[in-house]
Amino acid sequence: MGGEHELLLGGARDPDAIATRAIDDVLRIERKYSRFRDDSVVAAINRAAGGAPVAIDAETAALLGYARTCFEQSEGRFDVTAGALARAWDFGGKPTRRPVAAVLRDALAHVGFGDVEWDASHVRLPRVGMAIDFGGIGKEYAADRVATIAQEAGARHGLVNLGGDVRAWGGRPDGSAWRIGIRHPREERALASVELADGAVATSGDYERFVEIGGIRHCHIIDATTGEPVRAWQSMSVIAGLAIVAGSYSTIAMLMQDRAEAFLANAAVRWLGVDAGGAQRGSFV
Amino acid sequence: MAAIDGEVAAAQPCDAATRRSCEFARDGARLNPFLTAALLLPGVVPAAALAQSMPDQGLFSLQYLDYRDWQPGAARMTVRNPSLYVMTPFAERYTFEGSLVYDAMSGASPLWFDTLSGASGLGVTDYRTAGDAKVTRYFDRYSIGAGVAYSHERDFISRAGSLDARWWTADKNTTLAFGFAGESDYIHPSARELDNGRRHSLDFLVGITQNLSPVDIVQSNLTYATGHGYYSDPYKTLDQRPGERRVLAWQTRYNHHFTVADATLQLGYRFLADSFGGDSHTFDVAWAQALPQGFTLTPSVRYYTQGAADFWFGPPFPQGFVNGQDYTADTRLSAFGAWTAGLRLTRTFADGWRVELSGDFYRQRGDWRIFGGGSEGLLPFSARWFAASVSKTF
Repeated sequence: MGGEHELLLGGARDPDAIATRAIDDVLRIERKYSRFRDDSVVAAINRAAGGAPVAIDAETAALLGYARTCFEQSEGRFDVTAGALARAWDFGGKPTRRPVAAVLRDALAHVGFGDVEWDASHVRLPRVGMAIDFGGIGKEYAADRVATIAQEAGARHGLVNLGGDVRAWGGRPDGSAWRIGIRHPREERALASVELADGAVATSGDYERFVEIGGIRHCHIIDATTGEPVRAWQSMSVIAGLAIVAGSYSTIAMLMQDRAEAFLANAAVRWLGVDAGGAQRGSFV
Repeated sequence: MAAIDGEVAAAQPCDAATRRSCEFARDGARLNPFLTAALLLPGVVPAAALAQSMPDQGLFSLQYLDYRDWQPGAARMTVRNPSLYVMTPFAERYTFEGSLVYDAMSGASPLWFDTLSGASGLGVTDYRTAGDAKVTRYFDRYSIGAGVAYSHERDFISRAGSLDARWWTADKNTTLAFGFAGESDYIHPSARELDNGRRHSLDFLVGITQNLSPVDIVQSNLTYATGHGYYSDPYKTLDQRPGERRVLAWQTRYNHHFTVADATLQLGYRFLADSFGGDSHTFDVAWAQALPQGFTLTPSVRYYTQGAADFWFGPPFPQGFVNGQDYTADTRLSAFGAWTAGLRLTRTFADGWRVELSGDFYRQRGDWRIFGGGSEGLLPFSARWFAASVSKTF
């Protein structure tokens, strides 16, 4: 799990023990759902693509259920099976040109959550080369679980930041709200800040992983229906009660491009975006 | 506060103390498909039943209750009741709970019948003091508690002891509760000398609390009480009741939290079978609505109906009565139905203070009985009570 992580706890008798339990759970989720580890559940599912169904537990089935909601609400743009597209673009390899059309077409043929065969106990990817990646969900899910574990262990105040996705509860121990800065997508400074006693704020941006090809920024957020990186927004931040919900809204808003504002207005969430021209849109107030 | 009440904090995810943990609902002003899907993920919000693990904080609560009842044309009994409750964790894995109650009752004893109107002489003034204490030891997956209780009135002393155990699954979604209590009462009325004014009883409880989903919780308890001794009313001349009583009760409660409305629907049903002959049914429904600024408003309605005891005889006396047999004319053992309507307003403050005001109105009539005929010749009986409480977690 990349990025910087932070955990603040207050009002607890034994914060170190609580933090250890919470961090252990984050590491558990990372081990279980990382596509980079051979021994993960995701690796086992991906290895079996085109073959026999793989047995899954309730947690994995619930994550697939959540992934289906993202797929449906984004009209297919947010797709946990979009791994082939990320491979085709190969941002890690610092490419200097776009993938050729045939490669992109082939990658799109290996994307399609609607084709995944799954139920409460099994999952099967129907085509060899299909791959699942919970990257757009797992980190936020882990943040929400940290909040639950810490609260149930008695931490009345807390804030967890997993790579920029923040979940807060109980306000600060002195009774004031947590103050969370939103990163500027182009400059090393805060764009805005938000005060939050309970809730979550998540940001998606084109600045996390990207390559410049022919002077145009291509970011890692790829529309699974077209195979193209999104360009309408530099960043999108959304406030919601849960980190996983905030994260879904911010990522799907990026994917919705020029329909993002209507999508967010319909969701009745507070949001703040920076459009391709650098103008701020939306409001946290 | 019964020695083994079997109460596990019912699911009120957005109520009071647990309110902050579920502010997630606040932004869901309209249906939010992501929130709905997220709530199916394990552990993204705290489990609804928080009482199953060791409390981290202490609680201090002071309550004042004012009760008054009446029948047509006559104000009857008044009870004023301050009570104090303290719960505190200590020595890592223990909690101590204690409460003190003081009742001041005054007024005429109830007028049970039209035909006896005016017969109840001088009126009654009585005081009751009661207290209980309980220590619970928490382990990782279970807890064991032991308690004592004592209650004293001018003509009545009660002593009780209890043991209970709870066991929960690792995910805390299921809790099993087992309880046992013994009670010994001593009745010594001022008006007359009783040969043996003692009564002993044993109570058993087995219960389950199950989280069905992050927003649904169901609790079911079965209790059985068996006792022997003096059950009659020493102030009623002919009152003579059996020397044994067995009561079996089954109570089930179901709570559902609506995340969009930020409210909890609370449903309850209790069936009670009594060896005295009066079976009863209780139906409860309440809606706990979270409001801005930490307020929660809870309107509630209860319907209660019971059959008459086998040895209950209605007016006019002594219809069907044979001397020497068990007999009572106590309306509390008659057949009737009753409605209670209540409203409770709670405000929780960020620093752990909580203030609650509630009012309930109760009305009982013979012809409101269902599952059988109601007792005839009874005057409608009404009561109302107001309660105010202040509590603080520490």
